[in-house]
Amino acid sequence: MSALLEVQNIVAGYGSIEVLHQVSLEVHEGEIVTLIGGNGAGKSTSLMCISGIVPLRGGEIRFAGERISGVGEGIRADKLVGRGLVQVPEGRRIFPRMTVLENLMMGAYGRDDKAGIAADLEKVYALFDILKARSSQLGGTLSGGEQQMLAIGRAILSKPRLLMMDEPSMGIAPILVSKIFAAVRELNRGGLTILLVEQNARAALKLARRGYVLETGRVTLTDDASKLLVDPRVREAYLGDG
Amino acid sequence: MAAATSRFSLFSKGQLVVLGLLASTPLIDVAMPTLRLSAPMRTVVTSAIIALGLNIVVGWTGLLNLGIAAFAALGAYAFGILTCEIYPFQVGFWWGVLLAGAVGAFAGWLLGAPTLRLRGDYLAIVTLGFGEIVQDGLKNLEAITKGTQGINPLPAPSLPGIEFSSETPVRWFYAYLAILAVVVFLCRNLEFSRLGRQWFAVREDELAARCMGIQPDKAKLKAFAIGAALAAVGGALIASQLSSTGEPANYDFQMSILALCIVIVGGIGSITGVMVGAIVMVGLNNVVLPIATQSLQNAGIGSTQNVLTSPDNYKFLLFGLALVLMMRYRPDGIIHSGKAVRK
Repeated sequence: MSALLEVQNIVAGYGSIEVLHQVSLEVHEGEIVTLIGGNGAGKSTSLMCISGIVPLRGGEIRFAGERISGVGEGIRADKLVGRGLVQVPEGRRIFPRMTVLENLMMGAYGRDDKAGIAADLEKVYALFDILKARSSQLGGTLSGGEQQMLAIGRAILSKPRLLMMDEPSMGIAPILVSKIFAAVRELNRGGLTILLVEQNARAALKLARRGYVLETGRVTLTDDASKLLVDPRVREAYLGDG
Repeated sequence: MAAATSRFSLFSKGQLVVLGLLASTPLIDVAMPTLRLSAPMRTVVTSAIIALGLNIVVGWTGLLNLGIAAFAALGAYAFGILTCEIYPFQVGFWWGVLLAGAVGAFAGWLLGAPTLRLRGDYLAIVTLGFGEIVQDGLKNLEAITKGTQGINPLPAPSLPGIEFSSETPVRWFYAYLAILAVVVFLCRNLEFSRLGRQWFAVREDELAARCMGIQPDKAKLKAFAIGAALAAVGGALIASQLSSTGEPANYDFQMSILALCIVIVGGIGSITGVMVGAIVMVGLNNVVLPIATQSLQNAGIGSTQNVLTSPDNYKFLLFGLALVLMMRYRPDGIIHSGKAVRK
């Protein structure tokens, strides 16, 4: 099986600080892969590199067999969304003064297949019925968990082939976290490939098929998620089982 | 979407009401000739067009532009050079207005390209500086712009079989009103267009917009260019009304601030609101204050010698007060846009 996403030895940083030192990972069609690690490990930077927002200083990224980023070159971020590389950014970043429906339609901004958009909208409403009930409410008036659902729904409207989620559980009531993770599982069952960045390592590893552990800009461990869950190093560092 | 039903009519209800209101002002002029509305009526229209341009930049895209008058000045001078009999072009009123808009768009693009990466206050300072540079540039390029004399005479609107002159201010006003209607129609379409959605997304959250596949820099540049084009059209119409570009100092910081007041007082982000703002602010500036000054003088209370007794001298105090009060009590302006930005 060839990988949908191949990240090879990427190096990236901000200013004089190098954040990622030769990070490699791959995601295969139909998988949920999780990237776990502590604060400042480079999880979000990795996603920003894949999305084409942070430029690479080394290595390359291939998506669906095509080279999308290298040093000093690459496909622009806005074009990548059209190819199905879609990110749910950290902290939700919904548009607070647009209605829920307007937020969702922003996701479909680059599409013109009306029937497909309508079908995807129904799909999102089926996944998160609260969004349908609040479709004419301003996004900023939703609770944190509902905003996360909105951010995911908005990304679904972008018609992703690979959905990248950055800390969907951050700052959200536990009951909504499990609801959101259940939705992620359901999306995956529907055939969507997912790259999940999480600090909530236990929940992420339970959900994912494979996992990568990122520490200070390096992948230190990678295995099937079920094995990582019982790996003593992971248990000690990320699962709170000293 | 909710707006889809009304989207296919030319104007929204609010816009129709305000345009209709404007269209009926000549009746007020006939009923109360002492108000001397014939010149202010056209000024309302030109100010509304400039403010609608500013609204695209400030209201929809969330970029503070404090130098919109510079684009009005460039529009006025482009119109002057293209139409005045002392230059070889003499393209006539309509082409003059259109090309002035194109010059404005180009200038907006030129200013925007290197500066739009600046955020918030820094961009505001650059636009402020640009406003001053354009004034000085126009003043010192005497060979082309006639310096402080201004370029004149300039043509009035022209239509086959209809004559426009200072003797027919009502006709002239309706020609301007028609142009305003076209501008409103364009703005309304932009608001609901793909580009409009880009602007709102960039205003709300640039990173999220990027994640939607929007290029914020391009969207901002387009807002800047289109806003500048409308301001330039407004400037061209001012020049035509005066039959002169006037001196460059007419397009000063106060003009930029007046346009900003119109947008904020009227309702930032709302086309209808901006038109209402233009009526209120220009009404205050060009009708109420001069009349108050005149009547105080007639009553023997004020005189031109005593600056303190002339209400006209308090106008910027009043504008400032209006801004402060609006921010305090009605930050979305007189007319809510529903999704306006609170500054």
